[in-house]
Amino acid sequence: MSLKFDYIVVGSGATGAIAAKTLVDKGVAVALLDVGVTDEMYKEQLPNKDFVTLRTQDVDQHRYFLGAEMEGIPWETTRVGSQLTPPRNFLTRLAETILPIKSETFQPLESVAKGGLGGGWGLGCFVYSQKELEAIGLKASEMTPAYQSVISHIGVSGAKDDATPYCLRNLLDVQAVTELGENAKGILAAYEKKKQRFHKQQIYVGRSALALLTQDKDDRKAVQYKDMGFWGDGDKSAYRSWITIEQLEKKNNFSYHKNCCVLRFEETDAAVRVYVKRVDTNDNQVFECKKLILAPGVLNSARIVSRSFDYKKERMPIICNPYSYMPCLQWRRLGKGIEQKNISFSQLMLFVDKNNDNFDVSMASLFSYRSLLLFKLIKEAPLNFADSRILMQFLHSAFTIAGVHHPEWPSSSKYMQMEKNADTFSGDVLHVTYKLSDKEQQINRGREKDIQKALSRLGCQSLKTIQTPMGASVHYAGSLPFCKSGEHFTITPKGKLGGTKNVYVADGSGFRYLPAKGLTLTLMANAHRVAKNVLEND
Amino acid sequence: MDYITEARLMTTYLLSKPLQQAEEELYVKAMEILDLNFSNFEEILIKEMFQNKFKLSCLDAGLALVDPSNQARRKIFTMLAILEASPNYTDSFLARDFSISDYFNVFFAGIRAVLRAIIGVLMVKNIQRKCH
Repeated sequence: MSLKFDYIVVGSGATGAIAAKTLVDKGVAVALLDVGVTDEMYKEQLPNKDFVTLRTQDVDQHRYFLGAEMEGIPWETTRVGSQLTPPRNFLTRLAETILPIKSETFQPLESVAKGGLGGGWGLGCFVYSQKELEAIGLKASEMTPAYQSVISHIGVSGAKDDATPYCLRNLLDVQAVTELGENAKGILAAYEKKKQRFHKQQIYVGRSALALLTQDKDDRKAVQYKDMGFWGDGDKSAYRSWITIEQLEKKNNFSYHKNCCVLRFEETDAAVRVYVKRVDTNDNQVFECKKLILAPGVLNSARIVSRSFDYKKERMPIICNPYSYMPCLQWRRLGKGIEQKNISFSQLMLFVDKNNDNFDVSMASLFSYRSLLLFKLIKEAPLNFADSRILMQFLHSAFTIAGVHHPEWPSSSKYMQMEKNADTFSGDVLHVTYKLSDKEQQINRGREKDIQKALSRLGCQSLKTIQTPMGASVHYAGSLPFCKSGEHFTITPKGKLGGTKNVYVADGSGFRYLPAKGLTLTLMANAHRVAKNVLEND
Repeated sequence: MDYITEARLMTTYLLSKPLQQAEEELYVKAMEILDLNFSNFEEILIKEMFQNKFKLSCLDAGLALVDPSNQARRKIFTMLAILEASPNYTDSFLARDFSISDYFNVFFAGIRAVLRAIIGVLMVKNIQRKCH
């Protein structure tokens, strides 16, 4: 016997949570199907104190900094996801078992946690320009109100400065920007001094817009500058998708179904049947709804759609921002002490907009390396640990990490294929091939050099550029590209899955282009837009 | 060599400080959890390393250049992490304002690191040769 609902949303990440909220706010009955792994170990252990106090006073700090199984002491070559701290490790738990993937060239990070990968979001908020939205396949006229609605819900802080055209543009209801740490202050002061020169070279630096509260909002508190953002979300000042799910769980027209791994769907004349395999019992279960909204993330949407269409498509496209990072030293901060108050998230953004048209922009997010323990840095130096410790302690306050994302387009050498495999949880495996052409790599190297030069002029000397494997940016899109004709394995501009009557896709599967700027806010705005379209088409 | 003796020697090498009981117990626990497996070469390295502080520092430095992911170094790395995550040793890790004498210390550490690396590489190569 199947369970019947009006609307079913699949996935509780950034897009699923917003799609569900949009529907629930309109008063319709919504069921959300999710695997929903949660952190049962660390949330009670993490004291509500600032990083410096914990480091100097808490005798039990090893429990959460190193982990109960010493999982916070990574030794193997850095893999995607190893940057997650022990209290965040639950984000990837079970994902490899439930969502098997094989690739020599692509190392994605997937999550089946409650709130999805949104639980590890860096909080950077970017409103895409009209040109960027057009390239993706979206209309600015539909997206602008969607952006506004999302930021009013999640709470965003930011400033009006040179970064505004690349971050929040003209959006309203923005909270005051966060206080600057000493590290970022030095960089911004250097920029202000040479601003005109930077502008002539189309380089712009400004404050990051973050989904981080600086004023209380509902039961969420303003940021307390405890610098524990990589470790936990105690005061809920940082927006996480599970916050929205928790709010929805209090409503009568919403139900949350845990342990449900959606494998495929089937349309009948009157309904959509959703086939689920439970992760707790391995039993199969069937749900039924009038309308189905898929939002389990780009890779998993591709799996579900492929199975539902009998694996008919041989190759599905995929795009992912290439990502590199540059450890930099800010000379004026050498040998300086640690501040009691700070935030872990990026405080500054640097944009290189060569054509001054807010399109194909290169971007670097600047972080201080403050609240991640020193021993991980010590390991990276080609020195003995004892002397390296002395040097790194001296350099610690001077470290700035520049995370560089590159824009990305689809091509024939970036694709996914599903292959049946009875040995896996779902009965199949996703194979991914992802190769950048020589020309793409050359362009990206050029962009990195531009950023390196700009950082150097800001007093931040880049030590080296570390290329991460493709997939490491955790920005995935384009597996079911937007297409007006409504063919199978595409999505219509309204968000409906081609070849179906009542199945919609609310994640980034339709995006035909990925700007360098982080896509999470745009994903959420698109999910809101798709959910509205679902209601309007009723 | 038992874990406690190892832990004490490593703490003297890493921080020139005595090891407290809480960190001693944590290192034993960590070794039991990690349950490291060593190759023949690594076994010999470990035996050499833990003879005294000088050999430990030079072999660590040599391996950092020749074979940074060697499991023998993992023991020192684990001890380092345990020490950092303890309020007893925070002042050795947390960023602080450096005085003029600290600047000399940093300079001296740099010189010492180079010397340890030179001796260490020769020691590692020698052990490698013996192994083969």
